[in-house]
Amino acid sequence: MADSGAAAPKPSSSVKLVLLGEAAVGKSSLVMRFVNNDFQENKEPTIGAAFLTQKCNLPTRTIKFEIWDTAGQERFASLAPMYYRNAQAALVVYDITKPSSLTKAQHWVAELHRQASPGIVIALVGNKADLAAEAAAGDELGDDATEDTDAAPGAEGEEDADADNADQRRVATKTAKAYAEEEGLLFFETSAKTGKNVAEVFTAIANAIPEASLKGPRGAAGGQSSLGRQEDARVNLGSVRPEGAKEGCAC
Amino acid sequence: METLDKTKWDVVIVGTGLQQSLLALALSRSGKKILHIDENKYYGGAEAALALQEAEEWAQHVDTGSATFSNAAVTTPELSQSGSGQSLASARAYSIEFSPQLLYARSSLLQYLVSSKVYRQLEFLAVGSFWVYSKDTSDAGDASSPSTAEQSSRLGQLLKVPSGREDVFQDQVLDFKAKRALMKFLRFIAEYEEHTEEWEEHKENPFSVFLTEKFRVPAALQAPLLALTLSPSGTAETSTTYALPRVARHLRSIGVFGPGFGAVQAKWGGMSEVVQVACRSCAVGGGVYVLGKGLSNPGVSASEDSDMVTLRLKDGETISTKWVVEEGNEVSSGPSQLCRSITVVSSPLAQLLPPLAEEAPSPASAVVVFPSGSLPLRPEDAKEHGAELPPVHILVFSSDTGECPAGQSILYASTSLPGDRGFQLLSMAVDALLSSVKESPSPAALWSLRYEHGSDSSDDTVSQPPNHVLRFARPSLDLAFDDSALDRVKDVWQRIVGAGTDEFLVFEDREPVGDEDE
Ligand SMILES: Nc1nc2c(ncn2[C@@H]2O[C@H](COP(=O)(O)OP(=O)(O)O)[C@@H](O)[C@H]2O)c(=O)[nH]1
Ligand SMILES: [Mg+2]
Repeated sequence: MADSGAAAPKPSSSVKLVLLGEAAVGKSSLVMRFVNNDFQENKEPTIGAAFLTQKCNLPTRTIKFEIWDTAGQERFASLAPMYYRNAQAALVVYDITKPSSLTKAQHWVAELHRQASPGIVIALVGNKADLAAEAAAGDELGDDATEDTDAAPGAEGEEDADADNADQRRVATKTAKAYAEEEGLLFFETSAKTGKNVAEVFTAIANAIPEASLKGPRGAAGGQSSLGRQEDARVNLGSVRPEGAKEGCAC
Repeated sequence: METLDKTKWDVVIVGTGLQQSLLALALSRSGKKILHIDENKYYGGAEAALALQEAEEWAQHVDTGSATFSNAAVTTPELSQSGSGQSLASARAYSIEFSPQLLYARSSLLQYLVSSKVYRQLEFLAVGSFWVYSKDTSDAGDASSPSTAEQSSRLGQLLKVPSGREDVFQDQVLDFKAKRALMKFLRFIAEYEEHTEEWEEHKENPFSVFLTEKFRVPAALQAPLLALTLSPSGTAETSTTYALPRVARHLRSIGVFGPGFGAVQAKWGGMSEVVQVACRSCAVGGGVYVLGKGLSNPGVSASEDSDMVTLRLKDGETISTKWVVEEGNEVSSGPSQLCRSITVVSSPLAQLLPPLAEEAPSPASAVVVFPSGSLPLRPEDAKEHGAELPPVHILVFSSDTGECPAGQSILYASTSLPGDRGFQLLSMAVDALLSSVKESPSPAALWSLRYEHGSDSSDDTVSQPPNHVLRFARPSLDLAFDDSALDRVKDVWQRIVGAGTDEFLVFEDREPVGDEDE
């Protein structure tokens, strides 16, 4: 589970995570749910909240996600390269009520495989699962999507899940899951609205980031991706040393 | 794809080089409608960083497509298959910078990255030791068994430049007289602005002459001081007025962000990362980004609406805007140019990156300087005979920079000697560097790219009729970031936003920040 709780003396690493997917599939909402445990119905597509951080505590280490949401600009595709550059993880989101959004997601996956850092961890996420009929009927999604996670407890808010509406699902879980397996992606169906599976996605990503790529002295990592963020090499611009700073710079 | 022509833009920025991107950042909260385009398929213009195969494509096309770069060629040496570590990793494991630069700690760029808050999205690394190559091996002692004290400051024909007073005192190579002369100079340079009388008369003289006449600094110590200037010119052309502020900048920067280093670089691609976060901030503020779109030539014309300018894009689309900002002053493409080479090496070259100080971050790079005349390139003809060749600078980037995989490194070499002879000089320097590092198996070049890089002779921003068309001069070729770029950006920003109360590049965080920066 993610929380920003007390600092245990566990190794901590930053992971850059990007969100990709068609406009209005719920990318920003997923981030808001994960970071603030909050959801806003019918909110305007934001431009703004585009860089957030959230810690995720694993048993042996802490992962600090640096989350790069797109800025409501998906239409020109030109933003993407600067988002996914050097990303260690990507959340590719579609809307289970909109088949075209899965097609779009598949384009993003292909693009990531072609252009992103080797070794990037990709999760395919079918959002708005609360709009599917079975969401109101029972809790099958968690089991379906994640073999080894405890099924998420029934999330609050399910009663507004339009139980009396027709099932709005247009993308079968099976279809998307088969695709994800073929491409070696993590796969979840989520609801930013109810909170279902949201934390689970991030935890699964944190677990899937290879430990080797996170730390280790220079030359020791051996792997070919140099994605490891070595905190011992980092220069903190926010802390100018008073004896050095007589004038001018920073702060 | 949607079209751009329905909108009346306030500002169209053409090209995503560093200056245009910083302008985009500066305008990101102005409420103006901004369209930022680049004819390339990548961000960064001349400050881009590309993966290997993209760099190869770049090399094939750049000669025709660019006034800034020419003579590009890639070489992939044939290697004896000698096992792992000796071969290239996947192309995307690399990020090749076309204009690598050091950022000194007091650069106004760092100050603005902090005041605009975008520094939170960047990761800065320490630039490590400076080394000077000496052709003179006679005083190098027995290279095969250096004393332990010397080991850290000497590597084959490379001598490490002391990074501070304590270093000078502890240096085992310098004799007492030399140390005293050097300390005297260091005391002077700490306050050289207040003591114009000491150097006024030497202003236009070579810095080396000044050092000899005023401080009796022995010849052997002049090379390291000259190295700190990062001057692209030969010893005789590097004047005292040019050198003093640069040496002072180097020394005064040490310790600002931590012990033992004075310059930093952004991880994952240097200035190209700064470009990414700057453009991103503008996008977050509502700016629209389109790659693969350029202006046709001529692309700018007056519009019937006198406040607007009409732009014609290469794909035929026409858009209208109040302001257009471009880069590159095609009229006065000047004599300022560098030959550059980039070499991926099969070794981490860790010996060039010793720890900087206790509590210091581990250095991500080193600077190796080959002074004028230290490499045995013969004069080409009688005219050149006796004239000294310019120095060569090599920035050594470890895998910590995120620009190459672990176990390898990248050498960014440059010299102001033009043409094929420039490239020859560069490859001599690369060979000399690699053979100074005694490693087994000896480090090999796995891939290399060379090209010439030009700049404008004047750095004025040009404003063309109609008055709302502005052109930045192309960025300087200085190996240390030149703050005048920010003056130009500020000037253009001011013209666009008009007189007001906004401060240049001072923003609040857009999102609440938690326990950052522990
Ligand atoms: N029912 C439902 N609506 C959602 C869910 N996630 C997002 N939305 C709605 O979908 C719309 C678009 O969401 P947003 O997060 O802005 O999408 P983005 O453009 O991908 O960032 C908003 O009106 C949200 O309230 C969800 O899980 N279930
Ligand atoms: Mg959004």
